Order: sequence, then structure tokens, then C-alpha cells
Amino acid sequence: MKAKDLMMPINEYLRPETTLKEAVNLLRIVRTGEEKVRVKALPVLDPAGKLIGMLTMSDILRAVHPSYLNMMNLGNFTWDGMIEEMAKKAADRRVSEVMTKTEVLTVRPNDSLMECVDHMLKQCVERVPVVDADGKAVGMIYERDVFFAVVKAMIDDNYSFKS
Amino acid sequence: MTQEAATTAKEVVMNGPFWIATAIFVIVYGIIVTEKIHKTIISIFGAALMIILGILTQENAFHSTDLGVDWNVIFLLVSMMIIINIMKPTGCFEYLAIKSAKLAKGRPFMIMAIFSIVTAVVSAFLDNVTTVLLIAPVTLLICQALELDVVPYLITEALASNIGGTATLIGDPPNIMIASKAQLDFMQFIYHLSPVIIIVLIAYVITLKFIFGKRLTVKEELRQRVMAMNENDAIKDPVLLKKSLAVLAVTIIGFVLHGMLHYEPATIALFGAGLLLLVSGNKEPHHILAECEWTTLFFFMGLFIIIGGVVNVGLIKWMSIKVLDITQGNLFATSMVVMWFSAFASAFIDNIPYVATMNPLIIDMARQLWPNLSGVELLHHPELMPIWWSLALGACLGGNGTAIGASANVIVVGMAEKMGSPISFKKFMLYGMPLMIESVIICTVYVWLRYYLLKI
Repeated sequence: MKAKDLMMPINEYLRPETTLKEAVNLLRIVRTGEEKVRVKALPVLDPAGKLIGMLTMSDILRAVHPSYLNMMNLGNFTWDGMIEEMAKKAADRRVSEVMTKTEVLTVRPNDSLMECVDHMLKQCVERVPVVDADGKAVGMIYERDVFFAVVKAMIDDNYSFKS
Repeated sequence: MTQEAATTAKEVVMNGPFWIATAIFVIVYGIIVTEKIHKTIISIFGAALMIILGILTQENAFHSTDLGVDWNVIFLLVSMMIIINIMKPTGCFEYLAIKSAKLAKGRPFMIMAIFSIVTAVVSAFLDNVTTVLLIAPVTLLICQALELDVVPYLITEALASNIGGTATLIGDPPNIMIASKAQLDFMQFIYHLSPVIIIVLIAYVITLKFIFGKRLTVKEELRQRVMAMNENDAIKDPVLLKKSLAVLAVTIIGFVLHGMLHYEPATIALFGAGLLLLVSGNKEPHHILAECEWTTLFFFMGLFIIIGGVVNVGLIKWMSIKVLDITQGNLFATSMVVMWFSAFASAFIDNIPYVATMNPLIIDMARQLWPNLSGVELLHHPELMPIWWSLALGACLGGNGTAIGASANVIVVGMAEKMGSPISFKKFMLYGMPLMIESVIICTVYVWLRYYLLKI
């Protein structure tokens, strides 16, 4: 199976200049796939449709988590209400400042599913964007869809009684 | 040019190797200043060129105390880095900073003053960059809690770390380098530099009071956030902390006594690092060692070899003749020129390559002044001593002049930018330059009074 056989079309995306406030609102309402699961990330496309990044839930948490907390063990000294304050401050930041840049983390439609899994495991991501030769985003591979493909392969091999 | 200087100048042979070494030196320093290539990369490459082009033999570059890598400096730095890397996860630095903020009762100017003093004192014993990296994150947290602008706090801490670092042999790399080349011990630095640094620090805090005293205000209810913090929560590993503090105490006592015991400072530091590694019960030292700042250490190694090359061909001697020419052999004038020139030079260029060049220059100058002396007699000539102190004071305090003058400044500027409150070059200079000039004026009076008027 190839990436193009499993990818989901990209219906919703973000622009780099969009504010986080608008972006999270979009993340909140967009659903995808047959099970209509809520998306946890959206691709960021430039006006030409070229993929320039991904905005994930973790990116948004990182945007409200001040960098100095990473430098030392200061988690004990934070206060109630701090995360709300930080969220209000981060609301006006641009998607481009916060997103994960995806220069390497993409696959081509004809790449194998194993390559998709390789990316997912090594980079700890749950989805891999599929781009064509011009860098245009054409679809998205989700971890759960790959998982179902794996389930199908296992069951088909081991249980010959199943049609 | 005086007749005498002209004759000595002729002793420097300006042949092929002289010009090759000079070219490597000038190009490497030019690249370090313009930051076209990372300073460590160009320093390693320049050092390799010095050896491969035959300016310096590999034997000299690796093993000569006069021309090669100064392992005393490298081992002192690396040992102190190891000690800090082991201590960091214990939470002692977080404890110290939170405790300080509570001691200030969450009052904004008191926090600035106490953080500056704590930074200066810690910097006197640890590397400035390390100190700033340890205190700045807590400062950012406290400023956030109190809804204060972080910029004045970050700048004042960087300046305080450069002031405090000047006080001791181990406080700042220029002092480590000067101590090694001039064979000065820890107590000599305490005796000669600490008194003036205490005065500089007091003047600094008073000046901050004038600048910021009335400008910083905080809402009463926000202060409760700071007062509610429990500094004891910071301690993550009390057992390791006790061991670390014990070893640190042994190490500092070792530094105090090293002159008397005839140990080099690097020996003391290496013993401290080795002992702490042993008693910490660490089974896998990879992490501790990997976290040492190898980029800085290799920058030093390369630089030592490059300087060795230009010393070997006589460029530094030629420069020292020129300096004596300008000051007409008047040593008070020389020490003043060294202090002020070092201050302004260090404000704009890295003080490490600067001091690496000045050390052999001062030694060459001394050789011309007292050709019959050698060794410690020459290095510790009573008339030469104020020049070493002037170099240390100028080069260390000069770093406060601009945002690029010292590594600690570069670190806080980077942190402020990450926090979304960038500090422009001009803004840093607005605070840094006047405070730097204030401190150098105090040092000028001190050197003149102590070494030329009272002669004590």
C-alpha cells in the first residue's frame, strides 16, 4: 500500500498569518474521517497551496508554556491562573511563529506506508502530510488509519478463515 | 620612536613566517569580530593552519607552556563545568533565587538589588554565563508573577554577573587566563581585585536605585504569588545537594590555599570535579561530561595555538614595543592605557581573544623593561603588578559596555527575545555603557590610589 491509497484529503488548512485565536477555533470545529474524529492538527499552507508547516495541539500548549520553565525545574512555583494568562497573551500570536515547520516531515503520494510509519515513530508525530513534486499539500496520513491498515494485514494473514 | 625602542624593534625579523602568522591572526580575529563563521570553527582552523604552515611545531602547540594550549585554563574551566553540571539538578540554584525573591518580599526594586548582588556573588565563583543561565529563568518567572517588564532585570543581572566575575581568579575566563600566564594565585586576586569590586558593586546598586527606584511598582495582590512560593520545593535531591556543597566547600578552600600548597588552580578544580563525580554515585558520566561547553573549550584551545604562532614570529613583541613607545615607558600611563583600552576593546570584541593577545604582550613588554629578570621575578615585578590588575579590571568590566561585550549579555538578549521583549543594541548600551564607565572610573581611582599614591 502506498501513501496515496490511505491519505485523507485536506479540507481545512491554516494560513501562516492567521492568529492562534482563529486557528484554535478552526481546530475546535473541524472533524475528519469516517468516524468524524476531531482533528488535533491542521496543515499550514501558503497562498500557492504549498505546505509550510503543521499546527498541532502540542504546538499550542508549547505556545502557552513559557520557555524558561524548560531551562530549570520551576514547575513547583507556578500559580493558579497562570495558564489562562499565558493563553490570553498567546491568542494574538501568528500561526507561523508557533507551528512546527515541516521541511523534512513529508511523504510523496507514491511513498510506501512503511516510510510514513518511519516518520511517525522517529519524529513522534501522529500524522504525516503528503505533498506532490511541487510541495503542494495533497493529503494527510493519520496514525489511526495506518494502524487499521496494519490490523487488516495481520488479520488477513493469520486468520485464513476470514473472507 | 625613541632611539632605544627603535633598536629593539629591529630584533623582530619581518620575514615570510612573520607575515603568514600575522595574516592568519588578523583574518581569524576579523572573522571572530564580524561573526561570519562560528568563532570556534575559525579558531580551530586557524590553529591548524599555524601548525601545518610550520609557524609552530605540533610539539609547541600541544605541549609548550609559552606557545601552546594553556591546559591550566582548559582543565580549570572543564572541572568547574563538571561540578556545576552535577549540582544543577539538585535544585540549589532555584532555591537560592526563590529565597532571594522572598527575602525581597516581592518588592520590585529590592528584587532587582538582591538578584544583582546574588548574581555577582555567585558569578565570583562560577562562570558568568552559567550564573546568568541559572538566575535568569527564575527572574523571568518572578517578573511574570509580578507582571513586571523583564528587560531591566535581565540587563542588570548580566551586568552584575560581569562585575562579580571580576572579583576572583575563577570568576571570569580573562582572570583565569591572566592568572595562568602571570602565575598569580587565588588569594592575590582576592587581595587586589575583590576590594575594588565590592566598591563597584555598591556603587552599581546605588546607581540602579536612582534609575529604577521609583519606576518599578507592583500590585499588592501579585506580591502574594511570590510570597506563596515555597523555596524548599525546589530541592530535588537533598543528598546530592549536601555532597555537592561539601565538595564545593573543599574546592573553594583548596583555591584559597593553593598558592601556599603550591598547587595550580586547575589541580584544585580537577580534584573537586573528580571527587564530586566519585561521591555523587553517578554510574554513567556521559551526560555530565557531554554537557560541558565544548564549543567554548575548543575556542580556547584554537586561540592559544594562534596566539602561540604570532608570539613565535615576534608580532606580539613588535606590538609591545609600540605600546611602550606610546607610553614612553611610564608604567602608570601604561596601566591606565591598558585599563581603558581594554575596557573599550572588550565592550566591542570578545575579551577572551583580547586577553589571550594581551598576556604575552605584557610579558614581552616586561622583558624589554627588565631584561635581566626572568620567571616569577619578572612576572611579579612590583611595577608590573598594577598592569595585570588593570588588564583584568578593564577586560572584565569592559564587557558591560554593549550587548555583545560579554557572553552573559548575549545570553540575556537571546532570552529576552524568546520572551517577546527584545533588547536592542542601543537599549542595552544605554544602561551598559554609563555603568561600565562608572565602574572603570572607580577602578582608575583605585589603581592610582593604591598602587601609585599609597603604594600598598
